Amino acid sequence: MADAGSVETLRLTGVRKSYGVGTPVAAEVLHGIDLTLLQGEFTALIGPSGSGKTTLLNLIGLLDQPDAGELVIAGQRASALAEAEITRLRGRAIGFIFQYHYLLPAFTTLENVMMPILAARGRADTPMRETAAALLDRVGLTPWRDHKASDISGGQQQRVAIARALAMSPTLVLADEPSGNLDTQNADAVFDLMRSVNETVGTTFLIVTHDPRLAQRCDRIVELVDGRIVSDRPNAHVVRRG
Amino acid sequence: MSPLALFEWIVAFRFMREGLTQTVLIVFGVALGGGVIIFMSALLAGMQANIIRRTLNYQAPIQILAPEQVARPLREGGGAAVAAQVQPRSQQLRSVDQWQKIRTEVERMPDVIGVTPVVTGPGFARRGEATKAVSVIGIEPESYFGVIALPEKIVAGRYDVGPIDVVIGTELAKDLGTAVGDKLVLATANAAASTLTVIGLFDFGNKGVNERNVYVALRTAQNLLDLAGGATSLDVKVRDPFAAETIAGTIRAGHDLQVDSWIRTNAQFFTAMAAQILANTLIRIFVGITVALGIASVLVVSVVQKSKEIGILRAMGAGRGQVLRVFLIQGGFMGLTGALFGSALAWGFLLLWRGVARNPDGTPLFIVVIEPTLFALACVGATLVGILAAAVPATRAARLDPVVAIRG
Repeated sequence: MADAGSVETLRLTGVRKSYGVGTPVAAEVLHGIDLTLLQGEFTALIGPSGSGKTTLLNLIGLLDQPDAGELVIAGQRASALAEAEITRLRGRAIGFIFQYHYLLPAFTTLENVMMPILAARGRADTPMRETAAALLDRVGLTPWRDHKASDISGGQQQRVAIARALAMSPTLVLADEPSGNLDTQNADAVFDLMRSVNETVGTTFLIVTHDPRLAQRCDRIVELVDGRIVSDRPNAHVVRRG
Repeated sequence: MSPLALFEWIVAFRFMREGLTQTVLIVFGVALGGGVIIFMSALLAGMQANIIRRTLNYQAPIQILAPEQVARPLREGGGAAVAAQVQPRSQQLRSVDQWQKIRTEVERMPDVIGVTPVVTGPGFARRGEATKAVSVIGIEPESYFGVIALPEKIVAGRYDVGPIDVVIGTELAKDLGTAVGDKLVLATANAAASTLTVIGLFDFGNKGVNERNVYVALRTAQNLLDLAGGATSLDVKVRDPFAAETIAGTIRAGHDLQVDSWIRTNAQFFTAMAAQILANTLIRIFVGITVALGIASVLVVSVVQKSKEIGILRAMGAGRGQVLRVFLIQGGFMGLTGALFGSALAWGFLLLWRGVARNPDGTPLFIVVIEPTLFALACVGATLVGILAAAVPATRAARLDPVVAIRG
């Protein structure tokens, strides 16, 4: 188990989010969320469908803005940042792993892994390529580095997505059901990979999952029901594999 | 380092490669449009240059003449005109007053290449039974050939006219049945006549000129027309034929002289040319708009197709500006590549035109100059049109909300 330090990676205070404001179907999805993640924590976010997990993840990932409340990521208050600064912070501090891999089909696996670095630095160079190659090696896909992202299997694609999420050495990785459409074996492999990154690099992970079996393998389990955190507990019985 | 290593360029080119069919089709469309514009422009420019050259072959850009003689009504003490009707005076053949002095002055002007005195008047060319009315033109060969390229138009014999020589046009030679070396009599209304030797034949490609113009030495013409030491006009050559009217104005301002520019004497031609330029410009504009709409529509579709990828790129940290440039680059590239192919196409058509469009005698109908600057301009223009056309789709792409785009 990675030692969770005392440095805050993320702090949410009273975060609210509504959809359809100004229409008859307006609904508040998140009702005042308070959540703090410490550096190196490996946290599961669980809850039934429609409880607001993905909405929360989009807010934390700076893909969307909260209606109220405060969001501090890597020491920066999101509400104080301009659009371009938010884009930069997102690229630098946050890695995304989606349920569907969302790789760019026109690019090779190596290029997909390079993409966040390329977007941040604006220009391709050899060190960037080497970083991407090392990450691809880490997820065991070196033989596929020059294959188009659309030409490899679902499990492999998700591993590429993990490598891509780590490209900028983010402090926080957000995973939205990363193994949601994978078979058990591949799901375990993907999970192992994230765990190993967490343990060796100390990256903070927040993983949305429906799978109780996978949640049991996290250090901390946060449960969201109807837009409220109903339980937030350390997992005393972390299931370790192999 | 090459721009191809830049994020925007890498993504732009990959996107275009992914939609290769669309890209190829639009590039082909731009090529056709660009090709038509280049071909038409070259043709028009060639035609104009040709007409201008033909006109300036036998006409100096500027002619300085003696001022027109005007009738001065008789006046009584009070200044009221006595005559009820003032008839315009008939114009005598007169010399330009102090033409040597004026010549020196005009020669010093910055845009003037050459000035030559000319004595022109009516006459008759006679050989045996045949008589033809001609225009006697007395020239000073050394300076005249700097203004009018007569030597280039000589088809037989020589052109350096001496006191007893004459150079005539091919039409007149045919009418009189003369050849180089034959003699003919040149007579004028003053009952003066000279027997001259035909030393050369010219062809200006204009029947009227070939029939009418007869070149003799300045002194010979002065004698025939009874204008000893005079010059009826000074022919002036200028560096830029289109500046002729301005220069003529400058000369006019300093002297009491009649100064005609070829722009004024060929007003009808210039009106026709202006109409042609207008029509050509309109066609260019509409073809340009069509090309722009084509590029824009392809990119609008591309933005919709690629919205998920755009969302992913944004989530990966790509800024709005970067996404905007990805699509502007595509527009510019489509314009430029299309224009390059269009240039090749137009080049081919122009070569074909050179081969096909010929006079009955096999000489080219007119010379179309394949001007590299025209191609360069077309390429720059098409690139700009492409970038402009991409502005709307690119802005849409940049405004995509990553969350919405990713969820599709």
